[in-house]
Amino acid sequence: MSDRVKIFLLLLPAMSVIVLLFFGGLAIGLMRSFNYMPVIGLTEPNFDAYFSIFTDEEFYLSFLLSFHISFTSTVLSCILAVGAALLLRRAFIGRAIINFLFQLNLTVPHLVGAIGILYLFSQSGVFARLAAEADLIQRPADFPALVFDPFAIGIILQYVWKEVPFIGVIVLANMQALGDNYESVARSLGASKWQSFRHVLLPLIFPGLLSASVIVFAFTFGAYEIPALLGQNYPAALPVLAYRKYTDVDLAARPEAMALAIVIALLSVIMLFFYIRYSRKRVRS
Amino acid sequence: MRYFSKLAVLAATAAMLPFSAMADTADGDALNAMEWDEIVELARGGEVNWFMWGGSDTINQYVSEYIGGILEEEYDITLNRVGVTDTASVVNIVLGEREAGNMDNGTVDMIWINGENFRTMMQGDLVYCGYPDVLPNNALINWDNPAIANDFGVPVNGCEVPWNTAQFAFAYNTALYDAPPTTIPALLEWIEANPGQFTYPAPPDFNGSVFVRHVFYHAAGGVENLLGEFDQERYDAAAEATWQILNDIEPYLWREGQTYPASIAALQQLYANQEVGIVFNYEPANVGVNIENGTFPPTTQGYAMADGTIGNTNYTLIPFNSPNKAAALVLQNVLLSVQAQLEKLQPEVWGTQPGIDISRLDDATRAMFEAVERHPNVVPAQDLADTALPELQASWISAIEQGWIDNVGSN
Repeated sequence: MSDRVKIFLLLLPAMSVIVLLFFGGLAIGLMRSFNYMPVIGLTEPNFDAYFSIFTDEEFYLSFLLSFHISFTSTVLSCILAVGAALLLRRAFIGRAIINFLFQLNLTVPHLVGAIGILYLFSQSGVFARLAAEADLIQRPADFPALVFDPFAIGIILQYVWKEVPFIGVIVLANMQALGDNYESVARSLGASKWQSFRHVLLPLIFPGLLSASVIVFAFTFGAYEIPALLGQNYPAALPVLAYRKYTDVDLAARPEAMALAIVIALLSVIMLFFYIRYSRKRVRS
Repeated sequence: MRYFSKLAVLAATAAMLPFSAMADTADGDALNAMEWDEIVELARGGEVNWFMWGGSDTINQYVSEYIGGILEEEYDITLNRVGVTDTASVVNIVLGEREAGNMDNGTVDMIWINGENFRTMMQGDLVYCGYPDVLPNNALINWDNPAIANDFGVPVNGCEVPWNTAQFAFAYNTALYDAPPTTIPALLEWIEANPGQFTYPAPPDFNGSVFVRHVFYHAAGGVENLLGEFDQERYDAAAEATWQILNDIEPYLWREGQTYPASIAALQQLYANQEVGIVFNYEPANVGVNIENGTFPPTTQGYAMADGTIGNTNYTLIPFNSPNKAAALVLQNVLLSVQAQLEKLQPEVWGTQPGIDISRLDDATRAMFEAVERHPNVVPAQDLADTALPELQASWISAIEQGWIDNVGSN
């Protein structure tokens, strides 16, 4: 058996799962989004569901909100993660413990984190009560709205909390693999600290940083549970909107839910394409 | 020796054949033609997956421990309670199974359901029907009562059986307010006079949707104009006034109406934290339960509206493709039993009103129902009964919920 055939056969189990389940599900979703759902008497495919989505103002507001959530939280997480990795790669007392604490919340589920945010930051949460207790505000309800707020602060806070260690671990592993020889050379040739970071280290860790941030961006754009728990009810993030349509009591709203899910997937792919292209260009220049 | 082992395998297979044939109780038509004793025998040793709203610890406990205990001891049936936040998601499970061609081996054996989702189930042809006459405790149900025979205006036609009756009620904190507003117009004034002290969950949350219907009834000049089939003209007239009212009070709501709580649980949390001063629930006994478990201040008092509150019956339903229909029938029969309905009425258990007609019971049993004392802070049943308003047909409700999102929630 030639190596090529072997590789093909070895990949087959994994690929068949991906192809069958992913593309199978996608095909059924597509069919339904075209208003084809024989079980409830829809047998003539058309584009009605897409028309009704694209003529709805809430869709555009939801898109802006979802984009804001995933873009802002990805950028903040990247900056904080690189900063943390730069510090953590140095030797200092208690580094092992700090390193452990830094990675600890990788194991905490998103949902648990979201409940934590609710308890801490909501207007009846711990910080609101402490502030009222300390007479900074008159009563807990006067605490600024950080959860269920129009700027999605609570949601972004939750994602940053969760994604900083994720990106940080990848970047740190990257830095440790590189060692500091390249930077030492740059410094000995007269580069400042900032110059050696900007022109030597950053381009070297960039591929790892980029792929980690792509994962984070795509994940947050399509995630349902955090915006559902911590978000305002209008406009809702796109996945929340899709789920609301999916559980509408009128079965006729199911095609719209499917169309919305397809649109979310397409938008993620398009945005990731431009994101990767643009960031590669920026680093090369 | 080999011969014997083969024989043993054969014998074992033969012994299991009738057993597996018996365990399969997916065929509803066959069950409907059977005697009750036969059905109970078929159900014995099986299990039943009951999907229900899981947001209340006391209800969950009643179902898992009390009802589950009876099934286990008397019928050797295992009850799996599956808690969900939204019954519509269970409808999606059954719908997906039908689409996939799973006609007799579904995951859902029973659903706790209300009119909106009942209509959806009927629309998708997902319901097992025609069995109530088989249940011995069907004799306790008053099918002549239109509020029982119709679920949100949709005729039940033997496709589900009642479990509880419930009626919307408000509650306020007696320590903070002398007298609560007891009509919708008075409530609207109260909201303006007490900025930030009121809000309601955003429809399609079930309880928020009921509150919006109350305002809708008020704007329509009474529910009489809204009964019957959905009518666009009558809807438009009342809807415009309703959105006007709800948008006018928005600046006086919690968070100036910029956002609304997403669920009744979130509203209860706001009330418990004294962020808002009035709370409501479709289950009036909920006030007593929340005082007892320390969530609500003990000075909370439930009350009825002088111009009436919406009431309805909720039901249990068996999907068409339940593989354990016999066990589900036994479960339904247990739920309707005098014993289970009486236990459920206890204020510390749940306090919800029976789905059976207690006037059909003998005097001694009826006296036991009448002797159950309500929690002192729960609105008296008589106050509510005097002013019960009917639910609208499900098509009205979807229109009102969507209208709220488009006209009020999106501002």
